[in-house]
Amino acid sequence: MGSPMLALENIHAGYGRFEVLHGVDLRVPPGKTVALLGANGAGKTTLLKAAAGLVPTTAGQITLDGVRVERIPPQKRARRGLMLIPEGRGIFRDLTVRENLAMFAGRRSVSEAIERAVAAFPVLDGRLGQRAGSLSGGQQQMVAVSRALIADARVILADELSVGLAPVVVDEIFEAVNVLRAEGRSLVIVEQYVDRVLDVADYVYVLHKGRVALVGEPEQCRRDAVFDQYIGAATHS
Amino acid sequence: MSEYLPFVVIGLFTGAVYALAAAGLVLTYKTSGVFNFGHGAIGMFAAYVFYHLNTAWGWGTIPSMAVALLLFGPLMGVLLDRVLFRSLAGAGLATYVVASLGLLVFLQGLAVVWKGGNTYRINPFFPTNTFKVPGVSGVFVTVEQALVVGIAVLAGVALTAFFRVTTLGLRTRAVVNDRDLTSLVGVSPNVVTTLSWALGCFFASLSAILFVPSLGLDSVLLTLLVLTALGAAAAGRLTSIPVTMATAFAIGVGQSLLVKAIGTRPSLAGLPTSLPFVVLFVILFFAKKTTFALPARAQERIAKATALRGGRSHRSRFPAGQLLVLSAVAVLLPATVSGYRLSTATTAVGMVLVFSSLSLLLGLSRQVSLCHAMFVSFGATNLSLLLHAHVPFLPALILAALLVVPLGAIVAIPSIRLSGLFLALATFGFGKLAQDVLYPTALAFGSDSLASIPRPAAFRGPAAFYYLVLAIAIAGVVVVEVLKASRLGRTLRALADSPTAVESLGISPWASRVIVFCVSAFLAGLAGGLLGTLVQSINPNSFDFFLSLLWVTVLVVAGASTLGGSVLAAILLVVVPAVLTSRAVTEWQPVAFGLAAMAFAQLPNGIMTMVRMPDWSAAWQRVSWKAAHQQRARERHAVTAPVRAT
Ligand SMILES: Nc1ncnc2c1ncn2[C@@H]1O[C@H](COP(=O)(O)OP(=O)(O)OP(=O)(O)O)[C@@H](O)[C@H]1O
Ligand SMILES: [Mg+2]
Repeated sequence: MGSPMLALENIHAGYGRFEVLHGVDLRVPPGKTVALLGANGAGKTTLLKAAAGLVPTTAGQITLDGVRVERIPPQKRARRGLMLIPEGRGIFRDLTVRENLAMFAGRRSVSEAIERAVAAFPVLDGRLGQRAGSLSGGQQQMVAVSRALIADARVILADELSVGLAPVVVDEIFEAVNVLRAEGRSLVIVEQYVDRVLDVADYVYVLHKGRVALVGEPEQCRRDAVFDQYIGAATHS
Repeated sequence: MSEYLPFVVIGLFTGAVYALAAAGLVLTYKTSGVFNFGHGAIGMFAAYVFYHLNTAWGWGTIPSMAVALLLFGPLMGVLLDRVLFRSLAGAGLATYVVASLGLLVFLQGLAVVWKGGNTYRINPFFPTNTFKVPGVSGVFVTVEQALVVGIAVLAGVALTAFFRVTTLGLRTRAVVNDRDLTSLVGVSPNVVTTLSWALGCFFASLSAILFVPSLGLDSVLLTLLVLTALGAAAAGRLTSIPVTMATAFAIGVGQSLLVKAIGTRPSLAGLPTSLPFVVLFVILFFAKKTTFALPARAQERIAKATALRGGRSHRSRFPAGQLLVLSAVAVLLPATVSGYRLSTATTAVGMVLVFSSLSLLLGLSRQVSLCHAMFVSFGATNLSLLLHAHVPFLPALILAALLVVPLGAIVAIPSIRLSGLFLALATFGFGKLAQDVLYPTALAFGSDSLASIPRPAAFRGPAAFYYLVLAIAIAGVVVVEVLKASRLGRTLRALADSPTAVESLGISPWASRVIVFCVSAFLAGLAGGLLGTLVQSINPNSFDFFLSLLWVTVLVVAGASTLGGSVLAAILLVVVPAVLTSRAVTEWQPVAFGLAAMAFAQLPNGIMTMVRMPDWSAAWQRVSWKAAHQQRARERHAVTAPVRAT
């Protein structure tokens, strides 16, 4: 695989004495997309949070572009180019859309941030002054995803971007994901629409009860019957 | 009408001071989730720093003020955030309340050690000459009043602009909204929080220093500025700075007009100072439950931290062995001590009952009551009234304590349904309100400010009275310990850890909290009757409102969860200064308690956490097969901590 953009090795993490991840390994090569799958409660969200620094790891290493980051706080990981778009809506609900984009701008100017967001999601143009929490679910997720388009994050971890959204909106979101791929970013995507994410993924990891149960390429996974057992047929769209 | 106008001007001036204090309070609460009871104390200390530089070191007014405002205030904020409150991050509400109370007691005590308890006059900083308000006849305004009101209005506008326009303001609002997401976008929430602490403490210092020329430099009055800010902060739901500041102005004007309206009627003299609490109570009473729910993030953090600690065991054994040994020691005591030592011992035993009743709240259900001194005081005055109505002593004692219960219910019922913070706030306010408004009435001390409690003939001897206090205290302690070991106790302990989990078990958290609060008030009232009978006459300051705060810190330092803690608290508070009679001990005592409360706020059981009590029941098990068998049966049926599901 060459030297990975993000490497998680032997990650142990959890909540207090309750360990959720029992030694997880995951590698994301530069410019590649990893689909992270698993049943409810498998530990997908916990793994992404551990990578971003929101959940402390009790053992293991996290390497971002060759630099060890498991001991540094979330904001420093973010400044080094690691972005987590969290489960739920990754927006500041009490701030306006414009203020959200200003928070996301980082080194860019606010007007440039707005330009990029509006280019990807034109509906946001008329709603810059609106409180983000009062947007529709789809629009909220657009604001959250535009964060990835605005900043130069090298690795983007996206947790359930399409949950609760209408199919048309999901299309729009996945279009943005394709833009990110085309820009050469490295992605880890947790997604319930398995077929959709397999279309864009280069590698697939399946988590089961806090351990990696399967690793493979999308085609392999589509053919493999074991795969269905872990994911559960119900999650196919 | 026009005779009221000058009072409006005075009211606007005090309102401006309240507005500045309240703005700082809300600012730190919003960004850190810590309601800082020590806010006023920080301002008070800044004023002392100013006074010291200005008088002892002879610095000019401007450099002294600059150091106190721009250096001491913000530095204090940074220190508090970095050293104290951050290390408590995610701890329960009670822990924050106790730590900030510790800060209050510590700074207030330190100011007294430093400059003594006197009130110092300070010359006005601003010109005192007056000018006429154009267009309004007969109203004169001093330059000082105009400037202070101007500063407050300007500060309000500046704060609003800061939040709306600046990047730092935006980041602060982002932290308030979602701390984790803020860190994910690369902004350190800790840095933002520290800055808002610095700003909040600057406001505390500013309000106190501006107030000093008219109020005088008084460590208690300035510390209580936080109380006055309470009503305004509650009106702004602890989040809106503009509403808070506007309400503060309204309270200032309202107080001033009340002063004018009441005139010289002494019975109502306490009313103006109590206006902020009346506002607080009206707001708490009519608030919807959700209005004052903790920010979701804070709840989440607390839940996370509870999970990290792995939850407490919700069981507790009746400490039969300890109780036996302690009672035996207490029974034998009069054989070795007499005179004033015996009366110290009597006070200590009475205080064990006070602390034990307080531990029912602090240690068991993690409710913070800040008006326990009021319960004690009413226990004594009720007894005095009943005795003068010729009710025999023992029934009078019980009845006096029972009469305290409705008072407890009045404070507790509206606030318990809100979050735990509001019980602390309501009791804080009510304690002061009662002292100002109720104590001078015939319900308590009456106009002569004295309640005499004649001792019954049977207990006139010091040893006889000691045994009476001891017997009642033991009975009270048994009630407390039985409650702790009961099903209700388990419920309350589980409730303190995870309100939602218990709610889903179908137990009303509201009812169990009110019950325990009433039992606690009853026992405190009982102790009050006994302590009052010991000294035979008490006045409104015998159980001063401030004592409530000290008691909470002492009990937390000693250990709020177990009987040993209550006994140790009484020893630390009563016996130590009686044995070591040097002035330094009495002076430094509050400082030490305050400091220790900050340091020990997070320990589950204060000093007693570090003391291993001999395991009496284990010893008992060894000799009794039956007891051991029962113990095992109990363990099998033990309720385990419910695990939070996502
Ligand atoms: N804050 C928390 N405190 C305690 N336990 C938690 C917490 N968050 C998650 N868990 C537990 O950790 C385990 C893994 O949860 P996680 O959210 O990582 O699963 P997931 O794979 O993302 O599931 P889903 O598909 O439902 O989002 C679950 O058993 C969950 O109950
Ligand atoms: Mg998840």
